[in-house]
Amino acid sequence: MKDYVDSVVLDPDEILKQYGDNPLEFFKDKTICLFKACLEYYYPGVRNCLKLMLEDFGLNVVTSPEQSCCSGTFFQRNLITRSQFAAINERNIAAIDKIADILIVSCNGCNNSLLRGRKFLRTKEVREKTAIILKKFNQKISINPNLKIIHVLDFLHLIREHIGDHLKYSLNGLKCTVHYGCHYSNLKLDKKNDISFIAPKHKLEDLIETLGGTPIEYQERDSCCGWGASQNVIHREKSLQITFNKLKSAEMVKSDILITNCPTCLYTLNKFRDEMKDLFGEALTIPAVHINEVIGLLMGYECDKYCQLTFGSLLEELKV
Amino acid sequence: MATKNESKYNWNFFNRIVKDVEENWNIIQCISCGKCVGDCPASKISDFNIRKIVERVLTGDETILREEDIWYCFLCNKCSRICPKEGINIPLFILSLRNEAFKKGYAIPQLTRYINMCKNFLENGTVMKESDLKQERIKEIDKICEFARIQYLYKASKKDIGME
Repeated sequence: MKDYVDSVVLDPDEILKQYGDNPLEFFKDKTICLFKACLEYYYPGVRNCLKLMLEDFGLNVVTSPEQSCCSGTFFQRNLITRSQFAAINERNIAAIDKIADILIVSCNGCNNSLLRGRKFLRTKEVREKTAIILKKFNQKISINPNLKIIHVLDFLHLIREHIGDHLKYSLNGLKCTVHYGCHYSNLKLDKKNDISFIAPKHKLEDLIETLGGTPIEYQERDSCCGWGASQNVIHREKSLQITFNKLKSAEMVKSDILITNCPTCLYTLNKFRDEMKDLFGEALTIPAVHINEVIGLLMGYECDKYCQLTFGSLLEELKV
Repeated sequence: MATKNESKYNWNFFNRIVKDVEENWNIIQCISCGKCVGDCPASKISDFNIRKIVERVLTGDETILREEDIWYCFLCNKCSRICPKEGINIPLFILSLRNEAFKKGYAIPQLTRYINMCKNFLENGTVMKESDLKQERIKEIDKICEFARIQYLYKASKKDIGME
Protein backbone atom coordinates (compact mmCIF):
# COMPACT_ATOMS: atom_id res chain seq x y z
CA MET A 1 0.00 0.00 0.00
CA LYS A 2 1.26 3.47 -0.85
CA ASP A 3 1.94 6.06 1.84
CA TYR A 4 -0.73 8.73 2.51
CA VAL A 5 1.33 11.44 0.78
CA ASP A 6 2.82 9.39 -2.07
CA SER A 7 -0.62 8.08 -2.96
CA VAL A 8 -1.80 11.56 -3.99
CA VAL A 9 1.36 13.09 -5.48
CA LEU A 10 1.56 13.19 -9.27
CA ASP A 11 5.18 12.69 -10.25
CA PRO A 12 6.13 14.72 -13.38
CA ASP A 13 9.25 12.55 -13.91
CA GLU A 14 7.10 9.43 -14.24
CA ILE A 15 4.94 11.18 -16.88
CA LEU A 16 8.08 12.24 -18.75
CA LYS A 17 9.30 8.63 -18.79
CA GLN A 18 6.12 7.49 -20.49
CA TYR A 19 5.16 10.54 -22.53
CA GLY A 20 8.52 12.20 -23.13
CA ASP A 21 7.61 13.46 -26.61
CA ASN A 22 4.28 14.97 -25.59
CA PRO A 23 3.51 14.95 -21.85
CA LEU A 24 0.15 16.62 -22.55
CA GLU A 25 -1.06 13.25 -23.91
CA PHE A 26 -1.07 11.88 -20.35
CA PHE A 27 -3.79 14.39 -19.40
CA LYS A 28 -5.95 14.00 -22.54
CA ASP A 29 -8.37 11.36 -21.25
CA LYS A 30 -8.51 12.74 -17.72
CA THR A 31 -10.70 15.27 -15.93
CA ILE A 32 -8.68 18.09 -14.44
CA CYS A 33 -9.90 20.05 -11.43
CA LEU A 34 -8.49 23.49 -10.60
CA PHE A 35 -8.20 24.08 -6.85
CA LYS A 36 -9.82 27.37 -5.83
CA ALA A 37 -7.36 29.40 -3.75
CA CYS A 38 -8.85 32.15 -1.56
CA LEU A 39 -6.42 34.79 -2.82
CA GLU A 40 -7.54 34.20 -6.41
CA TYR A 41 -10.46 36.38 -5.34
CA TYR A 42 -8.13 39.35 -5.94
CA TYR A 43 -6.51 37.79 -9.02
CA PRO A 44 -9.20 35.87 -10.93
CA GLY A 45 -6.86 35.71 -13.93
CA VAL A 46 -4.76 33.11 -12.09
CA ARG A 47 -7.49 30.49 -12.53
CA ASN A 48 -9.27 31.92 -15.58
CA CYS A 49 -6.14 32.03 -17.74
CA LEU A 50 -5.21 28.48 -16.79
CA LYS A 51 -8.74 27.24 -17.46
CA LEU A 52 -8.84 28.88 -20.92
CA MET A 53 -5.44 27.48 -21.84
CA LEU A 54 -6.33 23.93 -20.77
CA GLU A 55 -9.62 24.10 -22.67
CA ASP A 56 -7.78 25.34 -25.75
CA PHE A 57 -5.52 22.31 -25.41
CA GLY A 58 -8.62 20.12 -25.53
CA LEU A 59 -8.62 19.10 -21.86
CA ASN A 60 -11.66 18.56 -19.66
CA VAL A 61 -11.53 21.16 -16.85
CA VAL A 62 -13.75 21.50 -13.77
CA THR A 63 -13.84 23.18 -10.36
CA SER A 64 -15.50 21.68 -7.31
CA PRO A 65 -18.54 23.47 -5.83
CA GLU A 66 -17.90 21.46 -2.64
CA GLN A 67 -14.36 22.64 -2.03
CA SER A 68 -13.56 24.93 0.93
CA CYS A 69 -10.48 26.97 1.88
CA CYS A 70 -7.48 24.74 2.71
CA SER A 71 -7.42 26.24 6.25
CA GLY A 72 -3.62 26.58 6.22
CA THR A 73 -3.76 30.06 7.68
CA PHE A 74 -5.71 28.81 10.73
CA PHE A 75 -3.49 25.80 11.30
CA GLN A 76 -0.42 28.00 11.13
CA ARG A 77 -1.79 30.05 14.04
CA ASN A 78 -2.78 27.01 16.13
CA LEU A 79 -6.46 27.90 15.75
CA ILE A 80 -7.28 24.37 14.60
CA THR A 81 -5.59 21.07 15.50
CA ARG A 82 -3.66 18.76 13.20
CA SER A 83 -6.64 16.38 13.07
CA GLN A 84 -9.07 19.17 12.18
CA PHE A 85 -6.66 20.49 9.55
CA ALA A 86 -6.27 16.98 8.10
CA ALA A 87 -10.06 16.51 8.13
CA ILE A 88 -10.66 19.76 6.21
CA ASN A 89 -8.15 18.74 3.56
CA GLU A 90 -9.47 15.16 3.42
CA ARG A 91 -12.96 16.56 2.90
CA ASN A 92 -11.68 18.59 -0.03
CA ILE A 93 -9.73 15.67 -1.52
CA ALA A 94 -12.78 13.39 -1.24
CA ALA A 95 -15.06 15.97 -2.88
CA ILE A 96 -12.65 16.53 -5.78
CA ASP A 97 -11.87 12.81 -6.11
CA LYS A 98 -15.54 12.29 -7.05
CA ILE A 99 -15.32 14.57 -10.08
CA ALA A 100 -11.71 14.58 -11.28
CA ASP A 101 -8.55 12.54 -11.85
CA ILE A 102 -6.01 15.33 -11.55
CA LEU A 103 -5.95 18.35 -9.22
CA ILE A 104 -3.86 21.34 -10.30
CA VAL A 105 -3.06 23.75 -7.47
CA SER A 106 -1.98 27.29 -8.34
CA CYS A 107 -1.22 28.37 -4.75
CA ASN A 108 1.83 27.23 -2.75
CA GLY A 109 -0.11 27.42 0.52
CA CYS A 110 -3.03 25.27 -0.68
CA ASN A 111 -0.64 22.72 -2.21
CA ASN A 112 1.28 22.54 1.06
CA SER A 113 -1.95 22.14 3.07
CA LEU A 114 -3.30 19.30 0.93
CA LEU A 115 -0.06 17.33 1.24
CA ARG A 116 0.60 18.27 4.85
CA GLY A 117 -2.87 17.13 5.87
CA ARG A 118 -2.04 13.75 4.29
CA LYS A 119 1.33 13.70 6.06
CA PHE A 120 -0.33 14.15 9.45
CA LEU A 121 -2.38 11.00 8.76
CA ARG A 122 0.84 8.99 9.06
CA THR A 123 0.56 9.52 12.84
CA LYS A 124 -1.84 7.00 14.37
CA GLU A 125 -3.27 9.41 16.93
CA VAL A 126 -4.03 12.08 14.31
CA ARG A 127 -5.41 9.49 11.89
CA GLU A 128 -7.82 8.12 14.49
CA LYS A 129 -9.02 11.58 15.52
CA THR A 130 -9.43 12.62 11.87
CA ALA A 131 -11.49 9.50 11.20
CA ILE A 132 -13.78 10.33 14.15
CA ILE A 133 -14.25 13.89 12.88
CA LEU A 134 -15.04 12.75 9.33
CA LYS A 135 -17.51 10.18 10.62
CA LYS A 136 -19.70 13.05 11.87
CA PHE A 137 -20.81 13.52 8.26
CA ASN A 138 -20.39 9.93 7.10
CA GLN A 139 -17.04 10.38 5.45
CA LYS A 140 -13.86 8.32 5.66
CA ILE A 141 -10.17 8.92 5.08
CA SER A 142 -9.36 8.15 1.44
CA ILE A 143 -6.54 5.64 1.80
CA ASN A 144 -5.67 5.46 -1.86
CA PRO A 145 -7.74 7.98 -3.85
CA ASN A 146 -7.77 8.03 -7.62
CA LEU A 147 -7.06 11.77 -7.51
CA LYS A 148 -3.49 12.92 -8.05
CA ILE A 149 -2.25 16.38 -7.07
CA ILE A 150 0.26 18.56 -8.92
CA HIS A 151 1.46 22.12 -8.34
CA VAL A 152 0.72 24.37 -11.31
CA LEU A 153 4.40 25.20 -11.84
CA ASP A 154 5.33 21.53 -12.15
CA PHE A 155 2.43 21.05 -14.55
CA LEU A 156 3.27 24.07 -16.72
CA HIS A 157 6.93 23.08 -16.80
CA LEU A 158 5.95 19.61 -17.93
CA ILE A 159 3.96 20.90 -20.92
CA ARG A 160 6.09 23.99 -21.64
CA GLU A 161 6.98 23.03 -25.19
CA HIS A 162 3.30 22.72 -26.04
CA ILE A 163 2.67 26.13 -24.48
CA GLY A 164 5.56 27.60 -26.47
CA ASP A 165 4.00 26.32 -29.69
CA HIS A 166 0.69 28.08 -28.97
CA LEU A 167 1.80 31.57 -27.95
CA LYS A 168 0.42 34.55 -29.85
CA TYR A 169 2.89 36.94 -28.27
CA SER A 170 6.34 36.73 -26.76
CA LEU A 171 8.02 38.26 -23.73
CA ASN A 172 10.41 39.73 -26.32
CA GLY A 173 13.54 39.33 -24.23
CA LEU A 174 11.99 41.18 -21.29
CA LYS A 175 14.21 40.93 -18.20
CA CYS A 176 12.34 38.76 -15.70
CA THR A 177 13.05 38.01 -12.06
CA VAL A 178 11.33 35.10 -10.33
CA HIS A 179 9.78 34.39 -6.95
CA TYR A 180 9.05 30.73 -6.17
CA GLY A 181 7.74 31.28 -2.65
CA CYS A 182 8.82 29.41 0.48
CA HIS A 183 6.20 26.70 0.33
CA TYR A 184 7.28 25.74 -3.16
CA SER A 185 11.05 26.10 -2.68
CA ASN A 186 11.18 24.48 0.74
CA LEU A 187 8.50 21.82 0.34
CA LYS A 188 9.79 18.30 0.80
CA LEU A 189 6.52 16.39 0.72
CA ASP A 190 6.26 16.15 -3.06
CA LYS A 191 9.95 15.35 -3.56
CA LYS A 192 11.24 11.84 -4.13
CA ASN A 193 14.55 12.38 -2.36
CA ASP A 194 16.70 14.86 -0.45
CA ILE A 195 18.61 15.88 -3.58
CA SER A 196 15.50 17.17 -5.34
CA PHE A 197 14.49 18.89 -2.08
CA ILE A 198 17.81 20.71 -1.65
CA ALA A 199 18.57 21.39 -5.33
CA PRO A 200 18.09 24.99 -6.57
CA LYS A 201 14.77 25.50 -8.33
CA HIS A 202 14.81 26.35 -12.05
CA LYS A 203 11.33 25.67 -13.48
CA LEU A 204 10.16 29.30 -13.55
CA GLU A 205 13.32 30.34 -15.37
CA ASP A 206 12.84 27.50 -17.89
CA LEU A 207 9.26 28.62 -18.52
CA ILE A 208 10.29 32.25 -18.93
CA GLU A 209 12.78 31.21 -21.60
CA THR A 210 10.01 29.30 -23.36
CA LEU A 211 7.89 32.45 -23.24
CA GLY A 212 10.69 34.47 -24.86
CA GLY A 213 11.85 36.30 -21.73
CA THR A 214 15.30 36.62 -20.19
CA PRO A 215 15.50 35.35 -16.61
CA ILE A 216 17.92 37.33 -14.45
CA GLU A 217 19.40 36.66 -11.02
CA TYR A 218 18.95 38.94 -8.03
CA GLN A 219 20.16 38.96 -4.46
CA GLU A 220 16.82 38.19 -2.77
CA ARG A 221 15.69 35.53 -5.26
CA ASP A 222 15.11 32.89 -2.62
CA SER A 223 13.82 35.13 0.16
CA CYS A 224 10.26 35.12 1.48
CA CYS A 225 7.70 37.53 -0.02
CA GLY A 226 6.97 38.79 3.49
CA TRP A 227 3.62 37.08 3.96
CA GLY A 228 5.37 34.62 6.27
CA ALA A 229 2.36 32.49 7.26
CA SER A 230 0.44 35.67 8.06
CA GLN A 231 3.33 37.58 9.68
CA ASN A 232 1.97 40.31 7.46
CA VAL A 233 -1.19 40.24 9.60
CA ILE A 234 0.54 39.88 12.97
CA HIS A 235 3.67 42.01 12.53
CA ARG A 236 2.86 44.02 9.41
CA GLU A 237 5.46 46.78 9.49
CA LYS A 238 8.36 44.46 10.21
CA SER A 239 7.34 41.85 7.67
CA LEU A 240 6.94 44.56 5.02
CA GLN A 241 10.68 45.13 5.38
CA ILE A 242 11.16 41.66 3.91
CA THR A 243 8.72 42.44 1.07
CA PHE A 244 10.43 45.77 0.40
CA ASN A 245 13.90 44.20 0.33
CA LYS A 246 12.73 41.60 -2.17
CA LEU A 247 11.13 44.06 -4.59
CA LYS A 248 13.97 46.55 -4.22
CA SER A 249 16.49 43.83 -4.97
CA ALA A 250 14.61 42.94 -8.17
CA GLU A 251 14.52 46.60 -9.19
CA MET A 252 18.24 46.97 -8.52
CA VAL A 253 19.05 44.50 -11.31
CA LYS A 254 16.68 46.45 -13.61
CA SER A 255 14.16 43.66 -13.91
CA ASP A 256 11.12 44.58 -16.01
CA ILE A 257 8.79 42.18 -14.26
CA LEU A 258 8.68 39.81 -11.27
CA ILE A 259 6.97 36.50 -12.00
CA THR A 260 5.67 34.22 -9.26
CA ASN A 261 3.72 30.96 -8.97
CA CYS A 262 1.63 31.75 -5.90
CA PRO A 263 -1.35 34.14 -5.55
CA THR A 264 -0.66 34.66 -1.83
CA CYS A 265 2.89 35.82 -2.56
CA LEU A 266 1.48 37.89 -5.43
CA TYR A 267 -0.96 39.59 -3.07
CA THR A 268 1.85 40.43 -0.65
CA LEU A 269 4.15 41.70 -3.37
CA ASN A 270 1.47 43.99 -4.86
CA LYS A 271 -1.02 44.99 -2.20
CA PHE A 272 1.19 46.98 0.19
CA ARG A 273 3.13 49.24 -2.19
CA ASP A 274 1.63 52.48 -0.78
CA GLU A 275 2.19 51.35 2.80
CA MET A 276 5.82 50.50 1.99
CA LYS A 277 6.29 53.90 0.38
CA ASP A 278 5.10 55.56 3.60
CA LEU A 279 7.24 53.28 5.76
CA PHE A 280 10.48 53.26 3.80
CA GLY A 281 10.19 56.47 1.76
CA GLU A 282 10.59 54.85 -1.63
CA ALA A 283 8.02 53.89 -4.27
CA LEU A 284 8.57 50.48 -5.86
CA THR A 285 7.14 50.10 -9.34
CA ILE A 286 8.19 46.68 -10.61
CA PRO A 287 5.08 44.76 -11.74
CA ALA A 288 4.51 41.39 -10.05
CA VAL A 289 2.39 38.86 -11.93
CA HIS A 290 1.42 35.19 -11.55
CA ILE A 291 2.87 32.83 -14.18
CA ASN A 292 -0.68 31.73 -15.17
CA GLU A 293 -1.52 35.37 -15.95
CA VAL A 294 1.65 35.86 -18.00
CA ILE A 295 0.93 32.78 -20.08
CA GLY A 296 -2.73 33.79 -20.47
CA LEU A 297 -1.77 37.23 -21.66
CA LEU A 298 0.75 35.85 -24.16
CA MET A 299 -1.89 33.44 -25.46
CA GLY A 300 -4.19 36.37 -26.10
CA TYR A 301 -6.72 35.83 -23.30
CA GLU A 302 -8.39 38.64 -21.43
CA CYS A 303 -6.67 38.76 -18.10
CA ASP A 304 -8.23 40.25 -14.96
CA LYS A 305 -8.30 44.04 -14.65
CA TYR A 306 -5.48 44.10 -12.14
CA CYS A 307 -3.19 42.12 -14.40
CA GLN A 308 -3.95 44.39 -17.37
CA LEU A 309 -3.23 47.38 -15.16
CA THR A 310 0.01 45.89 -13.87
CA PHE A 311 1.24 44.95 -17.29
CA GLY A 312 0.09 48.37 -18.59
CA SER A 313 3.35 49.92 -19.75
CA LEU A 314 4.69 46.53 -20.85
CA LEU A 315 1.82 45.69 -23.17
CA GLU A 316 3.15 47.90 -25.95
CA GLU A 317 6.64 46.56 -25.56
CA LEU A 318 5.26 43.03 -25.80
CA LYS A 319 3.16 44.07 -28.82
CA VAL A 320 0.06 42.61 -27.12
CA MET B 1 24.65 27.44 37.28
CA ALA B 2 25.41 23.83 36.45
CA THR B 3 28.68 22.40 37.74
CA LYS B 4 30.90 20.18 35.62
CA ASN B 5 29.16 17.07 36.82
CA GLU B 6 25.64 18.35 36.39
CA SER B 7 23.82 18.27 33.11
CA LYS B 8 22.47 21.63 32.03
CA TYR B 9 19.66 19.77 30.29
CA ASN B 10 16.19 19.38 31.78
CA TRP B 11 13.87 17.17 29.84
CA ASN B 12 10.50 17.99 31.42
CA PHE B 13 9.64 20.81 29.04
CA PHE B 14 11.05 18.99 26.00
CA ASN B 15 9.08 15.85 26.85
CA ARG B 16 5.85 17.87 26.81
CA ILE B 17 6.70 19.21 23.36
CA VAL B 18 7.40 15.66 22.15
CA LYS B 19 4.15 14.47 23.70
CA ASP B 20 2.32 17.12 21.68
CA VAL B 21 3.96 16.03 18.41
CA GLU B 22 6.17 12.92 18.36
CA GLU B 23 8.20 14.22 15.40
CA ASN B 24 9.60 16.92 17.71
CA TRP B 25 11.83 14.21 19.18
CA ASN B 26 14.16 14.83 16.21
CA ILE B 27 15.05 18.22 17.69
CA ILE B 28 17.44 16.32 19.96
CA GLN B 29 19.71 15.94 16.93
CA CYS B 30 20.39 19.70 16.82
CA ILE B 31 24.15 20.36 16.87
CA SER B 32 23.75 24.12 17.38
CA CYS B 33 25.57 24.89 14.13
CA GLY B 34 23.40 27.96 13.56
CA LYS B 35 22.99 27.45 9.81
CA CYS B 36 19.24 27.86 10.29
CA VAL B 37 19.71 31.37 11.65
CA GLY B 38 21.77 32.73 8.76
CA ASP B 39 19.02 33.17 6.19
CA CYS B 40 15.99 33.10 8.46
CA PRO B 41 13.52 35.90 7.56
CA ALA B 42 12.26 36.14 11.16
CA SER B 43 15.83 36.66 12.40
CA LYS B 44 16.17 39.58 10.00
CA ILE B 45 13.30 41.53 11.53
CA SER B 46 13.26 40.38 15.17
CA ASP B 47 15.26 38.70 17.95
CA PHE B 48 13.98 35.31 16.77
CA ASN B 49 16.91 32.88 16.91
CA ILE B 50 15.92 29.29 16.43
CA ARG B 51 19.28 27.91 17.61
CA LYS B 52 18.83 29.67 20.96
CA ILE B 53 15.16 28.68 21.18
CA VAL B 54 16.07 24.99 20.74
CA GLU B 55 18.74 25.29 23.41
CA ARG B 56 16.33 26.98 25.84
CA VAL B 57 13.76 24.25 25.33
CA LEU B 58 16.36 21.53 25.87
CA THR B 59 17.48 23.20 29.10
CA GLY B 60 13.89 23.42 30.30
CA ASP B 61 13.59 27.21 30.10
CA GLU B 62 9.83 27.65 29.84
CA THR B 63 10.03 31.46 29.97
CA ILE B 64 10.40 31.24 26.18
CA LEU B 65 6.63 30.69 26.06
CA ARG B 66 5.96 34.19 27.40
CA GLU B 67 8.12 35.89 24.79
CA GLU B 68 6.89 37.22 21.48
CA ASP B 69 9.88 35.63 19.68
CA ILE B 70 8.11 32.34 19.01
CA TRP B 71 5.35 34.22 17.19
CA TYR B 72 7.82 35.68 14.68
CA CYS B 73 8.60 32.40 12.89
CA PHE B 74 7.56 32.65 9.20
CA LEU B 75 7.03 28.84 9.03
CA CYS B 76 8.85 29.10 5.70
CA ASN B 77 10.74 25.81 6.22
CA LYS B 78 13.98 27.26 4.90
CA CYS B 79 15.71 26.08 8.08
CA SER B 80 14.67 22.47 7.38
CA ARG B 81 16.12 22.71 3.88
CA ILE B 82 19.44 24.06 5.11
CA CYS B 83 19.74 21.92 8.28
CA PRO B 84 22.58 19.34 8.07
CA LYS B 85 20.56 16.91 10.18
CA GLU B 86 17.71 14.82 8.88
CA GLY B 87 14.19 15.11 10.15
CA ILE B 88 14.38 18.32 12.18
CA ASN B 89 11.09 20.08 11.51
CA ILE B 90 11.38 23.57 12.97
CA PRO B 91 7.94 24.88 11.85
CA LEU B 92 6.22 21.97 13.59
CA PHE B 93 8.38 22.52 16.69
CA ILE B 94 7.42 26.21 16.76
CA LEU B 95 3.73 25.32 16.37
CA SER B 96 4.06 23.04 19.41
CA LEU B 97 5.67 25.85 21.42
CA ARG B 98 2.83 28.16 20.42
CA ASN B 99 0.41 25.44 21.46
CA GLU B 100 2.04 25.34 24.90
CA ALA B 101 1.89 29.15 25.05
CA PHE B 102 -1.84 29.00 24.28
CA LYS B 103 -2.40 26.45 27.06
CA LYS B 104 -0.63 28.78 29.52
CA GLY B 105 -2.63 31.78 28.31
CA TYR B 106 0.37 33.56 26.77
CA ALA B 107 -0.95 33.93 23.20
CA ILE B 108 -0.22 37.33 21.65
CA PRO B 109 -3.01 39.96 21.43
CA GLN B 110 -2.41 40.44 17.69
CA LEU B 111 -4.30 37.18 17.11
CA THR B 112 -7.50 39.22 17.36
CA ARG B 113 -6.63 40.43 13.85
CA TYR B 114 -7.79 37.00 12.71
CA ILE B 115 -11.34 37.56 13.86
CA ASN B 116 -12.72 38.47 10.45
CA MET B 117 -10.88 35.66 8.69
CA CYS B 118 -12.23 33.15 11.23
CA LYS B 119 -15.73 34.52 10.76
CA ASN B 120 -15.48 34.27 6.97
CA PHE B 121 -14.11 30.74 7.14
CA LEU B 122 -16.81 29.40 9.45
CA GLU B 123 -19.62 31.26 7.66
CA ASN B 124 -18.45 30.98 4.03
CA GLY B 125 -15.83 28.24 3.94
CA THR B 126 -13.23 30.70 2.62
CA VAL B 127 -11.28 33.57 4.16
CA MET B 128 -12.97 35.92 1.70
CA LYS B 129 -16.33 37.59 2.20
CA GLU B 130 -18.00 35.75 -0.66
CA SER B 131 -18.23 32.08 -1.51
CA ASP B 132 -20.33 29.72 -3.59
CA LEU B 133 -20.12 26.88 -1.06
CA LYS B 134 -23.51 25.48 -0.07
CA GLN B 135 -24.77 25.87 3.51
CA GLU B 136 -24.81 22.11 3.93
CA ARG B 137 -21.08 21.98 3.15
CA ILE B 138 -20.33 24.96 5.36
CA LYS B 139 -21.95 23.12 8.26
CA GLU B 140 -19.43 20.32 7.75
CA ILE B 141 -16.61 22.81 8.24
CA ASP B 142 -18.27 23.95 11.44
CA LYS B 143 -18.52 20.36 12.65
CA ILE B 144 -14.85 19.75 11.90
CA CYS B 145 -13.87 22.85 13.85
CA GLU B 146 -15.94 22.00 16.93
CA PHE B 147 -14.08 22.96 20.13
CA ALA B 148 -11.19 24.50 18.17
CA ARG B 149 -9.63 27.82 19.16
CA ILE B 150 -10.97 29.27 15.93
CA GLN B 151 -14.42 29.15 17.57
CA TYR B 152 -13.29 31.57 20.32
CA LEU B 153 -12.27 34.14 17.74
CA TYR B 154 -15.51 33.50 15.86
CA LYS B 155 -17.50 34.19 19.02
CA ALA B 156 -15.54 37.40 19.46
CA SER B 157 -16.72 38.47 16.00
CA LYS B 158 -20.28 38.33 17.30
CA LYS B 159 -19.52 40.81 20.03
CA ASP B 160 -18.73 44.46 19.51
CA ILE B 161 -15.44 44.46 21.38
CA GLY B 162 -13.78 47.04 19.20
CA MET B 163 -11.49 44.52 17.47
CA GLU B 164 -10.43 44.66 13.84
